[in-house]
Amino acid sequence: MKALGKITNLFSCRQKIFLLVVAGVICGLGGLFLYLLRAHTYIADDPSACVNCHIMTPYYATWSHSSHGRDATCNDCHVPHQNLAMKYGFKAMDGLKHVAYFVTHSERQAIMAEEMSAEVIMDNCIRCHRQLNQEFVKTGRMGYSEQMREGGKVCWDCHRNVPHGGMNSLSSTPNAEGVTPLPPSPVPNWLQNLMNK
Amino acid sequence: MAKQLKKWQGWLLFGGSMVVVFILGLLVSSLMERRAEVVSVFNNKRTVFEDAIVAQNEKFKADYPREYNTWSMTEDTSFESKYNGSEEVDVLEQRPEMVILWAGYAFSRHYNTPRGHKHALEDMRKILRTGNPGIDGDADMQPATCWTCKGPDVPRMMRELGNGVDQFEPGNFYHKRWSELGAEEVNTIGCSDCHDARTMELRPARPALYEAWERAGKDVNKATHQEMRSLVCAQCHTEYYFVKGTDYLMFPQDKGMTLEDAEAYYDEIGFYDYIHPLSKTPILKAQHPGYEVALQGIHGQRGVSCADCHMPYMSEGGVKFTDHHIMSPLANIDRTCQTCHRQDAETLRQNVYERQDKCTEIRNRAEKELATAHIEAKFAIDNGATDAEMKPIQDLLRKSQWRWDYAIASHGATFHAPQEVTRLLSLSVDFAQQARLAIAKVCAKHGFIGDIPMPDISTKAKAQQYIGLDMPKLQDKKDRFLQEVVPTWLEEAKAKGKLLEE
Repeated sequence: MKALGKITNLFSCRQKIFLLVVAGVICGLGGLFLYLLRAHTYIADDPSACVNCHIMTPYYATWSHSSHGRDATCNDCHVPHQNLAMKYGFKAMDGLKHVAYFVTHSERQAIMAEEMSAEVIMDNCIRCHRQLNQEFVKTGRMGYSEQMREGGKVCWDCHRNVPHGGMNSLSSTPNAEGVTPLPPSPVPNWLQNLMNK
Repeated sequence: MAKQLKKWQGWLLFGGSMVVVFILGLLVSSLMERRAEVVSVFNNKRTVFEDAIVAQNEKFKADYPREYNTWSMTEDTSFESKYNGSEEVDVLEQRPEMVILWAGYAFSRHYNTPRGHKHALEDMRKILRTGNPGIDGDADMQPATCWTCKGPDVPRMMRELGNGVDQFEPGNFYHKRWSELGAEEVNTIGCSDCHDARTMELRPARPALYEAWERAGKDVNKATHQEMRSLVCAQCHTEYYFVKGTDYLMFPQDKGMTLEDAEAYYDEIGFYDYIHPLSKTPILKAQHPGYEVALQGIHGQRGVSCADCHMPYMSEGGVKFTDHHIMSPLANIDRTCQTCHRQDAETLRQNVYERQDKCTEIRNRAEKELATAHIEAKFAIDNGATDAEMKPIQDLLRKSQWRWDYAIASHGATFHAPQEVTRLLSLSVDFAQQARLAIAKVCAKHGFIGDIPMPDISTKAKAQQYIGLDMPKLQDKKDRFLQEVVPTWLEEAKAKGKLLEE
């Protein structure tokens, strides 16, 4: 606190007022950005968070109609589950990448998993299907990185339609918006009511 | 103002400005939502056309901005690929043997790789194959039928030459000479060639396709939407011929869609496009059987349409639309191949190149053998071979050249159906070699043993000189035609409102 006192003494009263307002503006804009981003939804595992960006709609729609749509969420496959640090670290990194693609309009027309993401996905296939694939049949004993090293196959080389269907395109399910929980308007009701009066 | 700022005042300033900015931001969000409504207003606005054919493509610009803008991009020639990018390449320069194969036919003058639809008219006027009507008193070398695939003015004129309302008279159109319609054919391949302007439903605009289907007992109007996504292409990218005498445009599809079916059709009516001046063979010239060859390939067999790969769907601003920048799917692998295939883009590209490379390898052999055979046949004739002796040789050459041409004339064939193309090209090599063997026997009979002397045809210029073409003269006349005649066509069209000013 003493150090803070020293710093505040460096500024005159007018400067302080100015700086406080600037700090308020910055924090307000930051808060607004997080609000419009619906940042709070990203903490939990609800798949509807993934369609905050409407371009994910076909991937949500295909997943929700697949066998995985009943028990597995997006995060079950798309983020690592070794520990909380890895989970949120990966989520933050991947999420920020998605934000960057979204706001710069640089999404591909057919979204494909990048290398790191592919590893996470396959290791998650193994995580859930271990008993089936290691005890009952003898497949699934190698993880993604070993398969890559050995030139082997990954799960979806055979299970081609799991879980997003055979067509991969932002245009593949053009009418899915109605069945997908797209985010509501960011303008809160009270403000809308106020403006509609 | 107090000299000292109290703590609560500080917090108030900080918190107050934060809240003000946040609420301002929400207001801005609301404003942006209202601004976005402009798009919907715009999307709901439509110029309703009363007429199914609207020849001026520009009239569609305001209502279909995404489709129009992507269509405009067919002007771009910057895409490069291993084979047939969007730039123009002189094929005869690369493959002088083709000059020999097409000797006696206009194709030996000038043959380039294709460019986008926006260049269709420009390229047609400048190509030496259309000649230079009106220069030095030269007449037309081509009928108006040549315009048939070059834009929405074609169905417009077929109707004007009919009853002007709903009756098409293609015969009256084909009957004219090429330059007679120069001032009418001014809008390049565009909207009304494939769409009914009133509803924008897919509808091929040319009668030849409907006529061919009817003769084969099929109805274009009953085709599914997915079939239509190929048929609008198939109205032009198909094998055709002009009926001798009337220049009526016909598709040889009565017996089926394969090369053998078309050959049987042509043989039955005794058709040939030209007599080869070296070997005196009645040649069938294949004209880009793109649709037929695509049907033979695995994508065609699985029901993938032309548009699926050449006009892939796109999502932009939450709106799904069809990319009208028709071009090689290799330019946009992320929205063509990868819609179905999971491999990375480079792997897929190499898969395509591999097929193209292998087809091209055998194509090179076919062209060498066939060109040599034509020249050897001339030698045999010059050395006394009789018509009876030459007949079986000419039959072989006709078969060989028809297969070679059919395989290479539709530009994407080496990928569309690589197995069919290698089959056709290997048969072409086989027939050409059978012909050469027979020629050697005939020559021996007439007292010549040894290698038949070959002219130097190592470049386009040498090959053209060998077959007796005066290229500088042809080019000079063409240049004058482009400077003197074409501008009058365009001025006339603009004056009559048929071509809109830029």
